[in-house]
Amino acid sequence: MANSNGNKTPFSVASQIGGPTAIFFVMLVLWQVIVIVLKVPQAILPTPLVIIETMAKHWELLMIHSWPTLSECLMGFGLAVVVGMGLGISLAFFPKFHNSVYPLIVAFQVVPKVALAPLFIVWFGLGTLSRVLLAFVIAFFPMVVNTYAGILSTDPLMVRMAHSFSANRWTVFCKIEFPNALPYIFSGLKIGITFAVIGIIVAEFVTAQKGLGYLIVFAEGNIDTPLLMAAITVLSIIGVALYAAIVALEKLVVTWDVGQDLH
Amino acid sequence: MTEAHVRVKNLRKTYQTRNDEIEAIREVQMEVAEGEFISILGPSGCGKSTLLMIVGGLLPLTSGTVAVGGENVSKPRRDTGVVFQAPVLMPWRTILKNVLFPIESLGLRQDDYIDRAHELLEMTGLSGFADNVPSELSGGMQQRVAICRALIHNPNLLLMDEPFSALDAMTRDLMNQELLRIWEEYKKTVLFVTHSIREAVFLSDRVFVMSPRPAVISEIVTIDLPRPRELAIEETPEFNEYVAHLRGLIEH
Repeated sequence: MANSNGNKTPFSVASQIGGPTAIFFVMLVLWQVIVIVLKVPQAILPTPLVIIETMAKHWELLMIHSWPTLSECLMGFGLAVVVGMGLGISLAFFPKFHNSVYPLIVAFQVVPKVALAPLFIVWFGLGTLSRVLLAFVIAFFPMVVNTYAGILSTDPLMVRMAHSFSANRWTVFCKIEFPNALPYIFSGLKIGITFAVIGIIVAEFVTAQKGLGYLIVFAEGNIDTPLLMAAITVLSIIGVALYAAIVALEKLVVTWDVGQDLH
Repeated sequence: MTEAHVRVKNLRKTYQTRNDEIEAIREVQMEVAEGEFISILGPSGCGKSTLLMIVGGLLPLTSGTVAVGGENVSKPRRDTGVVFQAPVLMPWRTILKNVLFPIESLGLRQDDYIDRAHELLEMTGLSGFADNVPSELSGGMQQRVAICRALIHNPNLLLMDEPFSALDAMTRDLMNQELLRIWEEYKKTVLFVTHSIREAVFLSDRVFVMSPRPAVISEIVTIDLPRPRELAIEETPEFNEYVAHLRGLIEH
């Protein structure tokens, strides 16, 4: 999707960002107006301006809790990327391994991983390890599946071409299969990063030690809805920034027309 | 004649399916001299591509022997270049980097071959496209890149598996002419698989006609037309006699 329109003029980029931004601000204004007109209590729904005010007032508190959320999210995600890609590559390399392991991975995917959070606390305690592992198990699956599918999508004729020039297994992987899998891997990264954020927040709800997830539960306990909404806003900004970073990296790495190698 | 460049003896190839054995090639004998341009002509699915892939060391044979330069072929040889039905260029690489791929996979020094890559690209009219990516080139241009790639490591045997079958008729004529020009320049031995009779006559010194599956070489026709050949030769009665003769052979 990201590569669907090849020649982007500055104008089309501006209109791409411009449309959603305009709608976003219109919605904020509507929200502000409706809450004021209907006299919705602040504890139910604060206005956007109140949320911004709260963010300014509690900036330090929000930052204190953002850092563990961000760092643990990146740890869980990083682990998912390394292990997930490793497993995806192994599945593609060893068909027998694939036949015996892949059904188990799929079966495990059916388990709602959020339900594992309490179990992780029993096993690994209330600390960072439990939270990172929950983010990991959630973000891991899209990495495995996409890496595997990406390698498998390699044109067999291209592999034969490489063999005709005496390429060994390693060369075929490094120079053909892996680059071919990159667009798929980036899809996995984009899904994985959003999943990792979910994993960390749920883990923070349950472990209730620190982080934006903890702050959300804490604010809810005090019926401090403006703080709750401020925490959600910061969390959303973190999520969007992480996603955007991956999209930016993808634009740097996957420079070719992806439709090309899918014929 | 000294030792043939390519020698195929009693070649047989069968495929094992779940409950059956399919005979793709029953018996093929071939002797090709150094620098000869040979076409292997036959109907679709007759096993001519299979034969070419076996000569290229890309498919195992069932029985018989295939030797190139007096050595039995069991795996791809470093002195062979292959052009496939599709260009199979890597979309993430520039044209120059695509042409240099064999140098990398053969473990040779890239620096030694950059000049040659540019020379080949110029030879095929692609000198301005070295830094382009494949999607910016037409199908014909992409297949020319594939030919450059097959020649980059200076092989003395070029195997071509219906390389122009996906191109339109006009582009195909141009490519055939260009291929002959390259061949006159470098004098490689060429095995060219095709199901186009005119293409086979235009290009070849000799045409090996293959029967439908299970394949045997049913006839070898020597094309005694003057070289260098231009497209105009296709209008001569001699040319069309060869075409008619070959058509008669294939239809039986």
